[in-house]
Amino acid sequence: MKTSLTSIIAAAAVACIAQPARSADGWGIDREKVVQLEVTVVDLACALGKSCPPDCGGTKRQLGLVTADGKLYPAVKGATLFAGAVHDLIPYCGKKVMVDGLLIENPMMQLFFVQNLRQSADQKWQPAEAFEKHWTEKNGKAEEWMRADPVVKQTIAEDGVFGIKGLAPKP
Amino acid sequence: MKKFLMLVMCFMATCPHNAQAAPKLVHVTGEVVDTWCAVTGIMFAAGTAHHQCAVWCAVGGIPVSIKAKDGNYYMVLRIEDDEQSVANPRTIKIQSHEVSVDGELVERDGVKYLFVTRVVDDKGIVDLTHGDYGIVPFGN
Repeated sequence: MKTSLTSIIAAAAVACIAQPARSADGWGIDREKVVQLEVTVVDLACALGKSCPPDCGGTKRQLGLVTADGKLYPAVKGATLFAGAVHDLIPYCGKKVMVDGLLIENPMMQLFFVQNLRQSADQKWQPAEAFEKHWTEKNGKAEEWMRADPVVKQTIAEDGVFGIKGLAPKP
Repeated sequence: MKKFLMLVMCFMATCPHNAQAAPKLVHVTGEVVDTWCAVTGIMFAAGTAHHQCAVWCAVGGIPVSIKAKDGNYYMVLRIEDDEQSVANPRTIKIQSHEVSVDGELVERDGVKYLFVTRVVDDKGIVDLTHGDYGIVPFGN
């Protein structure tokens, strides 16, 4: 009995090591589903029959995830606040990768929010935070990238926080 | 042979869910929005109140869409001759604007993708929501 119990615990421990737990967080969004998928990363425009530049267009074009059964989801969001997942996915252009995140099955538009990714099932999930890493390398450390970003600052300085020149919040 | 034809007809009738519809030319009028906030409804995401957040998201590389007057969302993957769809300076600048565009629509797996061929009109921001909502998110 003792031997079999030990065997079960050992098997469970091995299983835990071999299959790291899912780590995506639900956001309480209507029609969200926490999923892990093995997908192929594609340039969305190319997958839809348009031009196909090398390397999925670097980081200049939106990327999609094609599932084993051929469904195409746009990867619209990464784990950095207010940022997409292109920097996380671009190394896998045309390749398979495992993604952990939220599939939003909204009938108006289906979306995928990549929270973590890994190359194979025996690896640990890595957070999809490449945008922040790239941004920090380019601009330096900031508490909130979106308030410190030079393009954001210039846009808001020109057009105002409401997008209309001369229209400002009440003090 | 008859059985084979019946199978083909049956397959065509049921149509696989990942089918891509043939592209078609469309004219769309609506507000330029950040796709994530607008579609998920995680916050109030329209007009002046949400403009700053829409700029953040566009600069952050989240796809830009047009929310048409009929409620449909069209994800923009090209704007005229510019194929950059991540942090495109032109789409950053027209966040929250009401625009009318001609384009090529490709539908696949529940998403309407729009390749804009011509911006016909840009009325600027007409959806004045800040009076009711302030600045969304985070306020001033």
